[in-house]
Amino acid sequence: MTQRSDPSRLFYQPIVAVLTVTSLVLTVYVVWLSLRDLSLMRAGRDTFVGFDNYIRFFQDSRGLWALWRTVLFTVLATSIEVLLGLAIVLFLDRHFFLKRLVRTLLLVPIIMTPVVVGLTWRFIFDPATGMANYVLSRLGFSAMDWLGSPQVAFYSVLIADIWQWTPFVILLSMAALDSAPQDPMDAARVDGAREWQVTWYVLLPMLRRAIAIVALIRAIDSIKAFDLFYIMTRGGPALSTETLNYYGYVLAFTNFEISYSMTVALILTVFTNFALLAMYGVLFPKSGERP
Amino acid sequence: MFSRRVFMVTTTAAAVLTAIAGQAFAQGKPFDGVQLSVLMEGHPTTDAIQKLLPEFKELTGIDVALEVVPEQDITAKMLLELSSKSGRYDVVQNNIIYIPGFVKNGYIVPLDENLAKHKEQFDQADFVKGYFDTNVVDGKIYGVPVYGESTFVMYRKDLFEQHGLSEPKTFDDIANAAKTISEKTNKEIVGITMRGQQGIQGVYVWAAYLWGFGGSFLDANGKSALATPEGIASLDAFTKVLKDYGPVGVANFGWEENRLLFQQGKAAITLDATVNGAYNEDPAASSVVGKVGYAPVPMQSKSPKGGSSSLAVHSLYVTADSQNQEAATLFSAWATAKEQQLKSMASDPNSGVTSLTALNGEEFTKRYGAFKDAMIAAINQGNPQYLPTIDQANEVINNTGIAVSKALAGTTTAAEALKEADEVNNAAIGR
Repeated sequence: MTQRSDPSRLFYQPIVAVLTVTSLVLTVYVVWLSLRDLSLMRAGRDTFVGFDNYIRFFQDSRGLWALWRTVLFTVLATSIEVLLGLAIVLFLDRHFFLKRLVRTLLLVPIIMTPVVVGLTWRFIFDPATGMANYVLSRLGFSAMDWLGSPQVAFYSVLIADIWQWTPFVILLSMAALDSAPQDPMDAARVDGAREWQVTWYVLLPMLRRAIAIVALIRAIDSIKAFDLFYIMTRGGPALSTETLNYYGYVLAFTNFEISYSMTVALILTVFTNFALLAMYGVLFPKSGERP
Repeated sequence: MFSRRVFMVTTTAAAVLTAIAGQAFAQGKPFDGVQLSVLMEGHPTTDAIQKLLPEFKELTGIDVALEVVPEQDITAKMLLELSSKSGRYDVVQNNIIYIPGFVKNGYIVPLDENLAKHKEQFDQADFVKGYFDTNVVDGKIYGVPVYGESTFVMYRKDLFEQHGLSEPKTFDDIANAAKTISEKTNKEIVGITMRGQQGIQGVYVWAAYLWGFGGSFLDANGKSALATPEGIASLDAFTKVLKDYGPVGVANFGWEENRLLFQQGKAAITLDATVNGAYNEDPAASSVVGKVGYAPVPMQSKSPKGGSSSLAVHSLYVTADSQNQEAATLFSAWATAKEQQLKSMASDPNSGVTSLTALNGEEFTKRYGAFKDAMIAAINQGNPQYLPTIDQANEVINNTGIAVSKALAGTTTAAEALKEADEVNNAAIGR
C-alpha cells in the first residue's frame, strides 16, 4: 500500500493538525505578549515595547542566577538519578526472593503527587521534629538546618527529587535489561571476560538507548521542576532555591507582570530546546552504531 | 398546520402566565432567581458563610455559587478575570492592600448607593471602626470587612515569672528576655520564634520592627526607602535576635511552623497575628493554654511614621463588570452583618470577627477572653499602611522579603540587602 492511500492517516492527521495549530497559536501569542508590557495591575495600559523585556532579562541578576540554578539542578538531578538508578538496577539484576515486591515498592514514589512528596520531605527535614535530624543525632552528628540554610536548602530539595525519580530510572532500565538478549553475555563469559568486563563492555552498551531516553525525560522534567520548590522552600532562603521556572511563576502570580513572565518562560523554552538538542545529538549520533 | 397554531398559542399563554405568576410570587424578593458568583478565601469565616447560604436563599431568593480558593492564589485568579473584564465574578474577597490598585484600574465599584437601599442588612456603626475605614477611598465605601486581624507579642507568663522577667515593653526587653530564657534553660526552650520565610511571611513580622524603630516602606514621595538608619537598625535587631536565640531552621519558618513551635510550649516569645491567640488557647491542640501573656507590639521610636501593629483586613468587593451589582452588594452586606457573624463564631473557629456586637458578645469572651483586650488594643493601634498599599504592593513585598531572607541567612548585611531592595522596588514603582 502506498502512503497516499493509507486510510489510517485519517485517524492521526487531524490530531497532528490540531496539536500543531494549538502550539503554533500559543507560541505566537506568547511571543506577542513578550513584546509588550502587559501587567494585570496596569489594565489597558500595555504598549508595544519591542525587545525591552529581553534586554531587561539579561540585565536582571536575579533572573540570571535563577537560570544558573536551573542548569545546576538539571545536571545534578539527571546525572545522579541515572547513575544511582543504573547501579541499583545492576545490583537487582538477579533472581531473588521478593523481587516482585521490590518492584512494586519502587512505584510508590513515582505515583505520589509532588505536593505530597514535598510535604513529606518538609516534615523529614524539619529541624526540630524531623526524622533527618533524629537520624543524625543518633549517629552522633549535630543537627542540620536542612531548609533554613542557603548553603544546604538547594541540596535538600535535590535529595527529595532524587528520592522521587530514581525509581523511574530503575523501572525503565530494568525493563530494558529484561528484554536484552542473554547470548552476547554468555559468549563474552565463554571468551573469558570477567563479570565487570561483561557489564561494562557488553551489557551497558546494550542498555545505552534506554538510558539515553530516560536521561532525556529526566532532564526535561528537572528543567520544569516546580512543585518541590514551591512546597519546600518557596525559592528561599535568600533566593538560594529560586529556579528560572519558579522566578517566572513569581513574576506572573506575585508581581502580575505577565509580559516579563512570558519573556522568562520563552527564554527558558529556547534554552531548554537548545540544551536538549545538544544532548540528543550526543546520545543518539546519526552515523555509525555508537561513538 | 392548525394543530401547530393551537400548540403555539397555548404554550405562549402558558409562558406568559408563568411569568406573571412568577412576578407575583417574587413580591418582596426583587432578586428572586438572580445568580451570583462569589470568590472567597479559604478561611473559617468563609466556611461559616457557606453553611449559612441556604438562609440567604430563603431570605432573598438569590442563588449564590461560592468558589473558595487559598488566600495566596486568590489575587492572581481574580486579576485574570477582572483585567479581561469577563464578569465571571460578582463579588470577590481580598486583602485591603489591593484596594487602591483595584479602584485605580476600575475593577471594583463604590457601594454607598446600594448599601443605602439595604439598611436592613447594613449597619456601619456595628463594624470595628479601624477595620471598616480601610475600605473607604476618597470618601466612598468600596468594601465590607469579613475578617480582620492585627499583631501582638505573645510570651509565656510562667517562664517569665520563673526567670524574674516582666512583660516586654520594648524590642530590647524582648531580646533580653529571649537571651535570659534561652541561656537559663540551656536552649531547651527557644528564646524567641518568628516567621523568617522569604516573602510575605518574613516581611509581615519584620514590618513590626521596621515601624517600631521609626522606619517605613515608602518615603513621602512614594519611593521605597528601606535602607534608612531606622530600617537598617530594625533589620539588624530582627535578625540578631532570631540568629542568637531563635529556633534552628527559622529561615524557612512560615506561619504554621512558628505557631506550632509556640503552641507546643517550645518557645518563650513570639510576635505574630492576633489569630494565633485562638490557637494558643485551644485546649485540644495547645499545651500552653492559660500560660500565655499578650502584649502590644513595642514602639521603640520617639517619632514613628506609623503604628507597629498591623491591620490586616479582608473584605468583600463588588466587581465593575457584575451584571447584578445591587444583589451583589446585598450579599456582601448580609454576609458581614452581625447576625451572620454571631452564628459564624458558633460554627467555626473565628477570632477575626469585624462586628462589634460579635466582638463584645458572650461567645467571644468565653472563647477568646484571654487575649480579647490585647487584641482590641492592637486593632485600635493598627496601622493601615503597615504593608504598602500601592499598585505594586506585591512586588515590593516580594523584593523586601528577599532582603529580609538574605540578612537572616547572613549572605549579605542588612544595609546592603535593603539597598538592593530599594533599587528593585523603585524600578518596579517606576514601571
